[in-house]
Amino acid sequence: MDRPIKRILVFVDGTEGSITAAQYAVCLARAYQAELTALYVVNTRALGELLKARIFIQAEEEEYKRDLEQDANRYLNHVRSLARKKGLAVETVSASGNVQQEIKDCVREREIDLLVIGELSRVRSRRDEFYDEAERAMRSVPCSVLVVKDEERVWQLYDSLT
Amino acid sequence: MALLDLIDADVVKVPLQGRTKTEVIRELVETLRDAGRIGEVQPVYDAVIARENMGSTGLESGIAVPHAKTRAVRKLTMALGVSPPGVDFEAIDGNPSRLFFLLLAPPDQSGPHIQALAEIARITRSQSFCNAIVNARSAQAVVELFSEE
Repeated sequence: MDRPIKRILVFVDGTEGSITAAQYAVCLARAYQAELTALYVVNTRALGELLKARIFIQAEEEEYKRDLEQDANRYLNHVRSLARKKGLAVETVSASGNVQQEIKDCVREREIDLLVIGELSRVRSRRDEFYDEAERAMRSVPCSVLVVKDEERVWQLYDSLT
Repeated sequence: MALLDLIDADVVKVPLQGRTKTEVIRELVETLRDAGRIGEVQPVYDAVIARENMGSTGLESGIAVPHAKTRAVRKLTMALGVSPPGVDFEAIDGNPSRLFFLLLAPPDQSGPHIQALAEIARITRSQSFCNAIVNARSAQAVVELFSEE
C-alpha cells in the first residue's frame, strides 16, 4: 500500500492549541515520512474589516499588520525549531489575506493530504461555529483534517520522539 | 476564538452609571478590576484614553468599541457595558452610544485581539441583536443573549 499521508500542512495562528498541533504534526511527519509545511496567515481581511468599520484608524491598522507579520516570523521560527530538534525539515509559509482561503489555496497548491489544526473553541453559539476561521477552513478544504487535542499527551509524544 | 469565552456576568455592567465618555471608560475598567481581571485601574484607563485620543471608537448605531494594547493583562480581556439613555462618545454619526465593548490585549497577542475585534464588528452589523442587548435588564441576560445568538 502506498503511504496514506505524504504531505502534511499544519496551520499555526499563535494560539497554544496551534503550537500543540505543530508538535503533533512533527510526530506524524516523522512516523509517515511525510513532508511537513507550516502556514501562518496574516489576517489582512480582518484588518480591512476593522478599518472599514472604523474600529481601527489607518495608523492602527498598519501597526497591527506589522505586529502580525512579526508574529508570523516568530511562530514559524518556533515550528522550524520544533521540527529541527527532531531532525525534520519543515517548509514555512507566511501568507496574508483571508485565512480560510489561504489555507485552501495552500492545500491545493501543495497537494496536501492532511491538514492539522489546533483544538477548536468550544462552540457555545451558532455564531461561534460560523465565524471560527479554523473551523471554516476545516469544513472547506478538500483534504482530510485532523484536530489535535490533549496538549499533555501530545507533548509527551513529541518529547519521546528521538 | 469565541467571543463568548471572554464574557461572564461579572464583566458585564448593566446599566452603566457614567454620563460622559471618560466616566464610562473608567467604569468599564473598574468593572474589570472588581472582577479580578486587572490590577490597577489607572494604567489601563490611560491606555484606553490614549487610543481614544487618536480617534473615537464610537461607531454608528449606538455602539462603541474602546480598546487598547496593554501589559496590564496577560490574555485577551473584555468588559461590556450598556447605557440605556446613551452617552456622547464622539461617535461618527453624532448619536449617543449605548452599547460598549471594552477590549484589552497584551502587546504580543495581536492575532487573537484582531479576531475578537472582527467578531465584535460582525455582531454590530446585527441591529436586532444589539437592540436586544441594550434592552437587557441584567448582566446575566446579556450573557444569555450571546449564548443564544
